Parts: sequence; structure tokens; C-alpha cells
Amino acid sequence: MTVFHFFNCAILTFGPHAVYYSATPLSEYDTLGTSVKAALVYLGTALVKLVCLATFLKVSENDSFDPSQEFLKALIGFIDVAGLYFALTQLTHRNISQNHKFQAVGLGWAFADSVLHRLAPLWVGARGLEFTWDYILQGIEANANLVFSISLAALGSLMWLRKNKPKTLIPIIYACAGIVATMPSITSYLRRGLGWHFPKVVGFELFTSLVMAFISWQLFSACQRPSA
Amino acid sequence: MASKKQGQRQVLESMYSVIALVFMLVACVELGDAASAVDVYRLIQYDISGVPFGSRLASLNHHASSLHFSPGADLSRTVLVIPVRELDLGFVKEYISQRQPLGGLLFLLPQIFSFENKEGTTDSDQNGGLELLKNKLIELEQSLIHANILYPVYFAFEDENVNAVLADIKKNDAAGQQATATTGGYKFVVSAPEPKKVASPVITNIQGWLPGLKADGDATQLPTIAIVVSYDTFGAAPALSVGSDSNGSGVVALLEIARLFSILYSNPKTRGRYNLLFGLTSGGPYNYNGTHKWLRSFDQRLRESIDYAICLNSVGSWDNELHLHVSKPPENAYIKQIFEGFTNVAEELGVKVGLKHKKINISNSRVAWEHEQFSRLRITAATLSELSVAPGLLESTGGLSDGRHFLNENAVIRTVKLVAESLARHIYGHQGKSIEIFANGSSLAVNPSYIRSWLDLLSRTPRVAPFLSKNDPFVMALKKELTDHTDEVIMQNEVLDGMFTFYDSTKATLNVYQVASVTFDLLLLLVLGSYLIVLFSFLVIITRGLDDLISLFRRPPSRKVKTA
Repeated sequence: MTVFHFFNCAILTFGPHAVYYSATPLSEYDTLGTSVKAALVYLGTALVKLVCLATFLKVSENDSFDPSQEFLKALIGFIDVAGLYFALTQLTHRNISQNHKFQAVGLGWAFADSVLHRLAPLWVGARGLEFTWDYILQGIEANANLVFSISLAALGSLMWLRKNKPKTLIPIIYACAGIVATMPSITSYLRRGLGWHFPKVVGFELFTSLVMAFISWQLFSACQRPSA
Repeated sequence: MASKKQGQRQVLESMYSVIALVFMLVACVELGDAASAVDVYRLIQYDISGVPFGSRLASLNHHASSLHFSPGADLSRTVLVIPVRELDLGFVKEYISQRQPLGGLLFLLPQIFSFENKEGTTDSDQNGGLELLKNKLIELEQSLIHANILYPVYFAFEDENVNAVLADIKKNDAAGQQATATTGGYKFVVSAPEPKKVASPVITNIQGWLPGLKADGDATQLPTIAIVVSYDTFGAAPALSVGSDSNGSGVVALLEIARLFSILYSNPKTRGRYNLLFGLTSGGPYNYNGTHKWLRSFDQRLRESIDYAICLNSVGSWDNELHLHVSKPPENAYIKQIFEGFTNVAEELGVKVGLKHKKINISNSRVAWEHEQFSRLRITAATLSELSVAPGLLESTGGLSDGRHFLNENAVIRTVKLVAESLARHIYGHQGKSIEIFANGSSLAVNPSYIRSWLDLLSRTPRVAPFLSKNDPFVMALKKELTDHTDEVIMQNEVLDGMFTFYDSTKATLNVYQVASVTFDLLLLLVLGSYLIVLFSFLVIITRGLDDLISLFRRPPSRKVKTA
């Protein structure tokens, strides 16, 4: 029964990635290699981030929200953006369109994130006898994170790969990318600074991820139009 | 080649360590994920001549339910949680006597019975209810001890955690839903190994002497007066059987009497012409097996030198009357003498001592009073107790309800005074005279703080003989205390014989898990499945169009053929 629960939570956490890959044209163009490369880049980025966190951050005894520390954390969080930049621009991809490239990269990125951050707690916790909503919520969070990653990858590809984009949209693109990139810090603030509970935070993440996804989709198609 | 092999071996070895690490991690994870852990105390498990009694199982893994379960429900896989406050004795007795199947029983005892409860006295208006509760607990204990119960039975103390869980369980039961997803289905897990027999339990008797003063050139042995108390207990939960009254009060009284006489005997001028023998015996609940062994170990001369023996049993909560139990007829000269000694002092103290005569039946193995072991060896003996009738087997042996709160320190002090005073008058030949030797305020006064501290210690120490090793700190403390007051302290270790067999695992930890039902998980799977399908369809529609989705479902075989 508890293995059953683990199975359920695992489906919720990792299922959408697989569905995204198989449902979208990604599978038809066989972009798995790109995703794997992106995941590897994510691993490297995570390592660099860890080293930075360990070097620059003080270990706080209590769980309170310290603005200066959080600011530093947000800055370190931008290493993610650098990693994504590397994955999008520097890696040699097989001949796939930009359209698919950013999706593949975002997908690989989100999947690596899920595996790295959620698999171990899931294995440890969800198999226990004790029932909590936490792992289901964590699965939903993974969904939101997938949407965020793809949005960020989309915006990144707009910023770095597309040359002829409308001048008016550029600031909006950068602003959106900034918002998406600082999302971990925002949720951390909500959780610790405002004392929101986990379900509320997850709800917020889900909502903002959908909003950001919609915005970046609109931006992407807006950029697509003049070139098309 | 060799170096290559070595390299391989090194790799293998490092692999082993990694594997071991992983296993250790997994093991740690398996242990520490309980929602809350509660200390529980198992009902005793024992055999009398091979006939099983008590709870026969230790491990538990079932859903919890309260007494408000729906009628006709199958309880064979359910742990009933019953707070003793709300206990319906009839129900439990019926369940036990009809041998109804149950997953397990968990009794919740009020905090007041906990020996870790530091709060002092209770309100006087509460006492009526408390007395009622105590009687209920005694009755419950007796019915549990004398039954053969095939499922695990545990006791725990009420606290905030447990009460919150219980309230949740009750709410569910009232709503008629048992153990569902989120509203609090609880699973109680006690992972305990199968109880094992306690191999040849050791009982420890401790004796100490205060030798009297021999006149010069007197060759004959001095007469001896023995004061004997059995110190061990027996109860439904061995780990909770502290027996403050039965027979902690007697132990304290003996120690205080030893202390008082040690002061007198330390000075040659006040040393009496009697030897005093103090005996702390074990095995009391089992027909005073320890006393029996102890007396058998005496040589003939010593046995004959004993003038009489006074046993103390449950002297901690009497109000006005004590009973002197004897097995010789009251007309017997020695008995008369002892009784008169007590009544004289009792009159001065303003209390009553009544004489109760109960003949011994040699053919019956049951020994109800400690003095009967002496009487069987033709030694004059009597038991001073607040109980007016002889307790049955395993009755009044210091069980669950025999806690510090029901103990009256003054009763112990008065007992000490009564016994010490009448002994002293006998020893110094002041019978019938009203001389107060242990007067309050004098250097020989009874010390209430000494009594209190020993009562506190005894009320914290479970003393069920089979679970008390011979080097137990408590036994050592008793021995040390007796050494401080008397000479020639001897510890005698004997194997508890007779018909009793005991099983271990008296204490355990109960893990309470909030669990979801299988139906919930199935439902969740269904929801997740449909979510993924909807997501899939949505993604296909927006990226490839609706037609593609439809074609995906319409012509999968033909597609396969194409690709093949």
C-alpha cells in the first residue's frame, strides 16, 4: 500500500516530463540527446551552485528569513541562468529547430531538477506508513517547476538565439526572464518571510507558472510572427 | 596481471563499502519515520504449571479504533483504544471471557497513576472519583491477569499526543468511517520480538543482623526477633508495578525500624539482650517463595533461636485499624504476648489493632501471608497488615493502581512507631508500662523525611522479581541501606521455583502512523492517470492539432505496420 503511494507520487512527479516529451513533436524529432545534455549541464550547475552556497552563505541556526542572505542566495540562483545559457547556446545540438531546442533543454533541465531534489525525499518518505499530503504537493510543485523551466528556456532562447525580435518586446522579455529566474527566492520568501504553508505556496507556484507560461508563449509567438 | 587483479579487488572492496553504506542509509530510513512514538507497557505474560495466562503476543500492526466502533464490525484486525476513565468493565470482561478475536488492546491510564508524575497531592474533591477509578483498575487488572489473551495488550499513559490521536479516532468512529484517507486513519505499530521465556528467574533475599549484648560468660545463644518484609511486586504491567503500598510501605517501615534500633544497639548501654534479624525477601507474590528458601537456608540452631517474627505487609494506607494475622490460635501464649504488646502501644497512639486468625492448610500450596512460611516451620510469627482478609493468589501485590498517590506517609510513620515501640518494650522488658522510647523530638524519633524519600524511590521502581536481576541497582541500594544500619548483611540468590514461568518484553514503543486507505491510493491513481491523459491530449492538440490526436487513437495498428 505504501509502495503504491510512492508509485502514485512518482507518477505525479515524473509523469508530466515523459508525457511532455511523447506528446509534443520532441519525440518525433528525437531530441532526447539534447535533453540529456541539458540534464548534465544542470548537474554541473547544481554542483557549482552548491560550492557557491557553501562558500558564501552563513549557516543560519533558525529558519527565519534574512534579507541579505536571501539576496545572496538569489544572486547565486542566477547561476542557473548561466547554466541555461550554456545549454542553449554553447552545446552542439543536432539539427533541430530553435522551437524544439528550448523545449528539449527546458525539459531536461526540469527533469534533472526533479530527480535531484525530489526523488530521494520521495523514496525515503512516501514509502513510510505515515500518510501526509506533502509528497503529493511536492509532485504538483514538480509540475509547476517543469512549466517554469520551459518558460525560462523559451525566454532564454528569445534573448540569446533570436536576433530579429521586435524592439518593444525586449524589456518585457528581460523582465519576465528576471521574474522566472528569481522564482525560487520569491517562494522562499513566501514560505519563511510570510510564513505561508506548503499547500498555499504550491498553489501560488502553480498559478504563477501558468501565468508566466502564458506570457512567454505570447511573447514567443509575437517574436515568431515578423520572422515568419 | 597481478596488479590488475589487485586493482580489481580494490574496486570490489570499495564497492562493498558503498553497498554497506547504502544499506545502512536504508535501514536508518526504515526506523525513523513514525508520526509519534508512545511508551507502552505490555500486559504480563506468564504460565502457571504450563497453563498460559496474560497476553500471549507482543508485536502489533493494526488500525486503531475507539469504543465507539460500529456494532457488528469485525475487530479481529483492530486495536481497541480504551481510556480507563471511560472503561466499561463489563464489556472488557465479556470480550475476554468469550475469547472474541481482537487485533489488540491499548488501555490508557490517567497520568495520576504514572510514577513519573511529579505533582504532589490531589484535590480532596477529586479523591472520590479517584478511589472509584482505582477500584475499577484493580478489577480490570485481576480480570486481565487471570485470563489467557491471544492478542497483545498494552498500557500507556494519557498525554496530549495520545489524547489528540484518540479524539481523532473517536471522531472517525462516530462518523461511521473507519480508517480513511485524510481524516485520520491511524495505524498502531509495535515491532517487538516474540516474547521469550525468562530462564530461571533469580530472587534475591537480603538479611541483616543487629546482634544483642551477651552477658559475660553466658554460653547460651541469645533469642532472636525477626522483622521480615517481602519487597517485590506483581502486576498486570511488570514495568509499572511499583507497589507503593504492597509492599513498598513495609520495606520503608523495616528500613526505618532498622535505623532506629541501630542507634540503640550502637551503644553498649542500650544494647538489648535480643538479636534482631531483618529480612527483605523476594518472591512474595508467588506464595512467598523467597521467604521459604530463606528459612530453609537457616541452620537448626538459628531457627530455634527465633523467638518470633513480625512480617509487615501493606501498611501504607490505613486510617485507624491494623490487623495482626496469625495462624496459631489466639490463646497461644506467644501470640497473646505479641498481640498485647501491640495493643498497648496502639492504645497510646490512638489506633486499633485487631487479631485475625487463619489456620494453615498444609496440603494447600497457597501461602496467603508471609508469616505462614514461618508457621509451617513451627516458628511463631505474625503479619501486621491493613488488609483484613487474606488476599488471593496475585492479589494486592502492588499492581497498576498501587501508586504513590494512594499512600499515606503518616500511616507508615505510625506503623513504624507501633512496631518499634512494642518491640523495644519487649526487648527491654517494659511490657505494660507506658514509656515512650521513640518519642517525637528526641534523637530516636521516627524520621519522616527518611520515610518519604524511600517511599518516593520505591514508588518509582518496578520490582517484579523475574525482571529484577540480582545486581539490579535497586537491590544494591537496599543492600547498602541495610549495611548502613545492620551487621553481617548477606545477599542470598535463589532460583524462583514452583509453577511460574515468565516471558520478557515488558516495555515497548508504540508508533502511531496516520495512514491512507488503499481506496484513496486507487482514487489518487485514477486522478493522476486522467490528469496525464488530459495533459497529453492538451499538448498534442496545441502542438500538432486535434486531427493528429484523433489519428493517434484511430490508426495505431496501421502506424505500426508502416513503421515495420
